[in-house]
Amino acid sequence: MRPLVYLHPAGGVRPTKVLEKLKPRQPVFPGFDGTPTVAGLNSRKALGKWVGEYIDREIGGPCDILGCSFGGAVALWLAILRPELVDHLVLECPAGLQTIDAKLRADPAEFRKALFVHPEKAFPVSKTREVEAENRRMLTHYGAEDGKDLELLQTLETIKHRTLILHGTEDRIIGRESVRLLKSRLAKSFLVYVWDAAHNIEVDQPERMLELVEGFLERSEAFVVNRAG
Amino acid sequence: MKFSFFHLMPYTDAQASAEWPVPNRDFDAGKAHGYYRAYLDAMIHAEDCGFDWVGCNEHHFSPYGLMANCNVIGGALAHATRRIRIAMMGNLVPLNNPVRIAEEYAMLDCISGGRLVAGLMRGIPHEYIAYNINPDKSWARQREAIELILRCWTEPEPFGWQGEYFTFPQISIWPKPLQKPHPPLVISASSPESARFAGEMKATMGMVLISDLAMAKECIAVYKEAARKAGWEPKAENILIGMHTCIADTDSQAMAALKSAKEYFDRVLMGGPRTAGRLVLQKSRYYQEAANAERMRERLAKREAATLEQQIEGGMIFCGSPQSVVKQIRRVHGELGNGVFNFTMKVGNLPDAVVRRGMELFRDRVHPEVRDL
Repeated sequence: MRPLVYLHPAGGVRPTKVLEKLKPRQPVFPGFDGTPTVAGLNSRKALGKWVGEYIDREIGGPCDILGCSFGGAVALWLAILRPELVDHLVLECPAGLQTIDAKLRADPAEFRKALFVHPEKAFPVSKTREVEAENRRMLTHYGAEDGKDLELLQTLETIKHRTLILHGTEDRIIGRESVRLLKSRLAKSFLVYVWDAAHNIEVDQPERMLELVEGFLERSEAFVVNRAG
Repeated sequence: MKFSFFHLMPYTDAQASAEWPVPNRDFDAGKAHGYYRAYLDAMIHAEDCGFDWVGCNEHHFSPYGLMANCNVIGGALAHATRRIRIAMMGNLVPLNNPVRIAEEYAMLDCISGGRLVAGLMRGIPHEYIAYNINPDKSWARQREAIELILRCWTEPEPFGWQGEYFTFPQISIWPKPLQKPHPPLVISASSPESARFAGEMKATMGMVLISDLAMAKECIAVYKEAARKAGWEPKAENILIGMHTCIADTDSQAMAALKSAKEYFDRVLMGGPRTAGRLVLQKSRYYQEAANAERMRERLAKREAATLEQQIEGGMIFCGSPQSVVKQIRRVHGELGNGVFNFTMKVGNLPDAVVRRGMELFRDRVHPEVRDL
């Protein structure tokens, strides 16, 4: 199997069953989880370049990428800017393609509810309030507050990697239109809806997500062939 | 007011049996051939008798109904008719492959030129034994299946589904339905919990086997409240009431014909399904709330214990001369405010000639009086 790099959402790196099982490398974007920001690094596009440099340094060749939400948009930029470093791409409810509901974003309690159908499945979080708040502030820092990245939208079609797009059927943060659009623009992509999952599919339905991601990374487009029984 | 001509396609040469499944050792395929021809002819004729919908449904393992796959019948109707809506009421979505249902319904919608009414039913309890599906899971399976069917019809790009009961790596159905975004839905709603579900799913509610109008009103109230919570306002046409209906030239002719036919329905056609249904209701959580299971038992018992006169009085059936049936329709409509009546006119072993005469009386003397309700 190729190395796997996980690009985290705006909440920073959090342990999940999926990550425990897949054991990806998990670079922390500058400014998240108590790390310092880097001067001049202030867009998702720039983060895509930054991840490319990380892969050059730590892996030295192509790898599989799993990007979640904010990290999904960064993963798309990585595939556009450094296509030679990406083998297979998995996008878990990727951001960047659509404006996020301002009302939802303005209400942290409601926003948190929108993250999960089954919050009881989430692992306990040990981050301080300050770190959580700083992570949220990073959305502004990286120009991602609105959610939509027009430049990304205009260049999406250059991505030719095999891509698996996952969307929770109860996701109110990233709308269905957003993943439909992505599916229509990526020539070699597969869109799969995960039943009874909200924005954080890793937490809500880890087994379903693992089955999909492991199948896709192991068997590429042949993951659609049933091997059971 | 819209009227639907609904058919169960019973096998009317069966002997009484309370066994489940009903033994098929005496099944005569030659007779079945005759039934299918006669029943299809009647259903096609419904278009000329002023009916707005022609309806059929799915049942298994008994003479109660010969439509194991009602979409086969729907295909025949779609081709042979021009105006009438083809109301599939419907496929039992928890028991079947939802993608197959989406495909077959889309075929029917295209063949009929956009006349499909898509019933997405949970099924009556005995079907769960027939298809070896856990009745405890009926609600969850129905909810997931309906969501998947809607996506099969509306997704603009190929997609996959990773669910609890249904998993498909990639789906892209051919054809898609003609009606956009999709054909109108009907979901059975004969109990408060199913009425709530129909409202949540933005579907027309279908009530059958009414035991009294108060219970029906309660279900309608629950349905409307659930619909409002889901952000829509049902109209009269979103409330469908199913009725056994017998229309004859005189009240006494109608009563005599229906009495015998209903006795056959209760004693013979319902024999096996009643046994299986009892098992399911006793041993499962088919109804999520115990009170609803009890309510269902009471409802069926009340219907079966009531005389024909009591059933007419209670708004459980329509029976009589055209003049009497017009009054009965007006009364039930006045109480419930529904916009669709679904008539089962082939009740039990009621002779097909009597059904035909009833259809013509409906066309000539009932429909003109009630179509503008």
